Amino acid sequence: MSTTQKFVFFALAATIRLLLIYSEYQKIIADRVEVSTALNSWKKVTEGVYLREAGIDPYTGDLFHESPIGLVVFSYMQKYLSLCMLCGIFVFTDLATAWILGATAYRYTSELIATEQKDIQKRKKESNDEELSTLPSSMSIPASSVTSSALLVPSAYLFNPYVVFNCVGLTTTVFTNFLLSAALYSMINKSRLCSCFTIAVLTLQGLYPITLMVPATIYLARNEEGKNKNFPYGNINKTIAMFIGILIALYYLSYKVSGSWSFLHSTIGFILTVPDLRPNIGLYWYFFTEMFEHFRWLFVASFQINVGLLYVAPLALRFRRDPMLLAFSYLAIAAIFKSYPCLGEVGFYMALLPMWKHLFPHMQQGFIVSCFLLSCTVFAPTVWHLWIYSRSANANFYFGVTLAFAIAQIFLVTDVLFASVKREFSLRHGLSREIHGNTGKLLLE
Amino acid sequence: MRIAVYPKCEKFLTSICEWAKGCLKVIQLQLQSCAKMRTAFAMYFIQALILSAIGDVGFVSCTSDVDDAFNEELMLKPLPSGHVYAHFQFTTLWRTDIETETFQHSRLFPRGLGEIIGRHNVRELHVSLTEGLWRYEKWGYPLQDTGSGAEVYAWFNDDRRIDENWKSLTNALAGLLCASLNFVDVSNSLSPDFTFRPSGAIPRPLNSSCLRYSSLPREIVCTENLTPFKKLLPCDSKKGLATLLNSAYIHNTNYHSIAVDVRPVCTNAACTQTTIELRQTISLVYDTMTTDSQDWSVRKLFGIGLRSACPLATLSRVYVDVTDNETSETYRLVPEPPETLISLRGGQENRIAVYDIKSLSNAGMFNVAAVHSKAKIYGVEIPPVLFANRYVVGYGQERGGLVTKLHNNYWKPLDVVLLENIPWYIPVYTHTIRITCQGKLLKPLIKRYVPGRERERPYYLEMVLRLPPRSVTEFSIELDYLFLKWQEYPPDANHGFYMGPAIITSLLPTARNYTALPQDGSTISSSFNASRDGYLVQLRTEILLVSLPTPDFSMPYNVICLACTAVALAFGPLHNITTKRLVLKPSKKNKLVSYIREKLSKTKVDKIE
Repeated sequence: MSTTQKFVFFALAATIRLLLIYSEYQKIIADRVEVSTALNSWKKVTEGVYLREAGIDPYTGDLFHESPIGLVVFSYMQKYLSLCMLCGIFVFTDLATAWILGATAYRYTSELIATEQKDIQKRKKESNDEELSTLPSSMSIPASSVTSSALLVPSAYLFNPYVVFNCVGLTTTVFTNFLLSAALYSMINKSRLCSCFTIAVLTLQGLYPITLMVPATIYLARNEEGKNKNFPYGNINKTIAMFIGILIALYYLSYKVSGSWSFLHSTIGFILTVPDLRPNIGLYWYFFTEMFEHFRWLFVASFQINVGLLYVAPLALRFRRDPMLLAFSYLAIAAIFKSYPCLGEVGFYMALLPMWKHLFPHMQQGFIVSCFLLSCTVFAPTVWHLWIYSRSANANFYFGVTLAFAIAQIFLVTDVLFASVKREFSLRHGLSREIHGNTGKLLLE
Repeated sequence: MRIAVYPKCEKFLTSICEWAKGCLKVIQLQLQSCAKMRTAFAMYFIQALILSAIGDVGFVSCTSDVDDAFNEELMLKPLPSGHVYAHFQFTTLWRTDIETETFQHSRLFPRGLGEIIGRHNVRELHVSLTEGLWRYEKWGYPLQDTGSGAEVYAWFNDDRRIDENWKSLTNALAGLLCASLNFVDVSNSLSPDFTFRPSGAIPRPLNSSCLRYSSLPREIVCTENLTPFKKLLPCDSKKGLATLLNSAYIHNTNYHSIAVDVRPVCTNAACTQTTIELRQTISLVYDTMTTDSQDWSVRKLFGIGLRSACPLATLSRVYVDVTDNETSETYRLVPEPPETLISLRGGQENRIAVYDIKSLSNAGMFNVAAVHSKAKIYGVEIPPVLFANRYVVGYGQERGGLVTKLHNNYWKPLDVVLLENIPWYIPVYTHTIRITCQGKLLKPLIKRYVPGRERERPYYLEMVLRLPPRSVTEFSIELDYLFLKWQEYPPDANHGFYMGPAIITSLLPTARNYTALPQDGSTISSSFNASRDGYLVQLRTEILLVSLPTPDFSMPYNVICLACTAVALAFGPLHNITTKRLVLKPSKKNKLVSYIREKLSKTKVDKIE
């Protein structure tokens, strides 16, 4: 049943993507600022490959921001593949991403159920608490959710309009998403080399996924934690050393491939200093368009710290028991606050949500967030047209929409995390919210 | 003053002066009976005459010792479209080496300009300020090609500290010509490989790293540029052809261009010695069709007749191109030209009426006029061999395309160099370049491309193309419009941004419609009967106005506040979730309500009691 269903889903998703790619809408979607940014646009990749073929260093210009290794890969792709095959590769990669996400979800949910059962058993033995034995059945995750989330996660990826647009727009985020899913899969499978390698490649390309090293390290260190109680310094050091080694090797390889270090300015420098102010779904573009020159660096630094550093340690400490949720929150925060976000990344982290199906009853803002997302998705192209083409609106309209979109995503992420905290509380203390007969309220103190 | 500088001529000149003074006295005595006004006028006139005589004599006698000379020329040419083209050229030649000259002393050469050249180690300098567009299809080729707005390019003697020198040079020129050339910097300068070559003498081969080119298409040319330009002339605007340069009559033309060109040229055939050549030119195109009659004259065009030649000038002439009058005699020149030249050049025959101002102004103020005996009928204008158009395609402020069309009307293929100067705020995609000709793709023979960088460097694209005979070649490229920071937009941001002209360089095999000076010539007279192997043209296309998307300029505080609020909305809950513990507390919400209820019920109870 499940296999046929899966096959049908994948076939349907492939058909939708291929139909759209070969329709007249492909160019419109690919040209949308929400889909293609300076970092992932296929047009810019084509330009970079063209310049490389012409013997001009693409990093001397302003249009190409992929890593040199990516450049080599893409230039081989464009050289030896026909347009049909190229589109085929994009669709295939997207389907593969969905499949890997399904496998990740399967593994994650089964592990989650196992650990929760073990936890409850352990605590039952230790405390003999009456409350825990009376834990309502709705609290525990049913065994069926293993298969259901293994189906829901890929379908959330396959039929998410954001992801579909991303694939039809032929952005390089399709490959980034593939690598991200591979990183998640390899970290849950505790494959050190694989996770270090994928995260290193992602870091080379987009810098922000470096935060994924935190959940990966936790996953890899968890294995030994069970055996001996000591803090697994050796394991963590090994993981970090391997990651840094691979990253350095990749940078050196990039240097060898491109012949100079000038690519650093066009990749990392471009991401960090935000020189491109073309609108996208993020917060940076209008903020730094309207910024007073005097304060530019202050705000660039604080925004980058906000996305890259600020939440890493607190979230890692809070959610150390659930590294997948930690990875999700990192990905979501990066997708909201990074310098050149695109819909493909938003779609990716949203596709992970069904993994935490058990948290949904604890969430409060689902309706508001979905209304926000829907209206923003409709309004963004409308006000863009009004501003850029009919010139009857101005930049503020589009900024308003991106602001609302960002806030909706923020609500979503904080809601999921808060739900996780609340569920954890309920697992310990039961679902009852009563203190000595009076109704109480859950508060953060 | 001149006497002090040239002691050798002193005696001769003093005697001349004495003679002149004597003459004046006699004349004064004779005119004493005349009315006061008339006397003053006559005296002025005679003085001018005598002074010019002194100038003449002084030059003739001292040429062997004087190492500089000044020529003034005016070319008037009725264009086939009914316009009249007036081209002034003031040439100063100074026999000295541009590299070693300190420019501390100069006689005819403007010292202000000289010092700028000397200080910045400049080998060749070309500055032009142009208003309007030269219409190649209708008017043929001008004597000097200039792009609309301000255009400046310079060759330096070496490329040490060249960017610094370039910046400083353009700043100095901005001061000298009262133009906004100070806006030239590395972000809008190019070093094209093929388009510009040194036009003068070079001691060693120079490569393009010694060259800087920039154009400011937004520049508006007006009186404030003309006045400093006139001050560079040895006679200022007090004498000679420069007296015709009245701003009111110059700035109401269809096209006017002011240019200053400095280059070293060879003094002799072996080029053992070099001369600095300064060419100051003003090109004007008047529309004579809008007036009542088709007649035109110097007085009508410039508002004043010709009074005298500049006494310092060796050559002081007015040329009128009367080629078009040859077949259908529609007008005659008044006064009758004393001399008519026939110039044979590259298969083209031109008839040129020559007026020598020095000999003609003896008789008083004079006027060269074209008087039409019958209405001129305008025939089909034969377009020149090569011309080009450029335009922007697409709509919206997001992306567009740039198209340059090159017309080759010659019966043989033509090799041209196309230089596209694209500013950094209009990024172009080179993979979208399409060069089509008659439905077929054309491959450029050579292509040079340096991608631009935001706020640092423009996009430089130069191509050598072989245009098929009798064809229209279309070059197109896709471009994006960049979103700039709010403070980078000029005042009136919605007016748009200008894009400098493309330059098309070619060596034409025929001189049809060609009037420019040969490379080895310094004066307009050198362009007569100057047949060469090829005729260099550098066409400038239209400048383009593109409209970049604009932000709301009144919003900075609001945007900063709102975006920071979004960040804070994330920070607050995440901070709470990560640092605080979840506890169950009795709900406080009802406290106030219950308190009030309590109070109310209490008062009720009180009342009842």
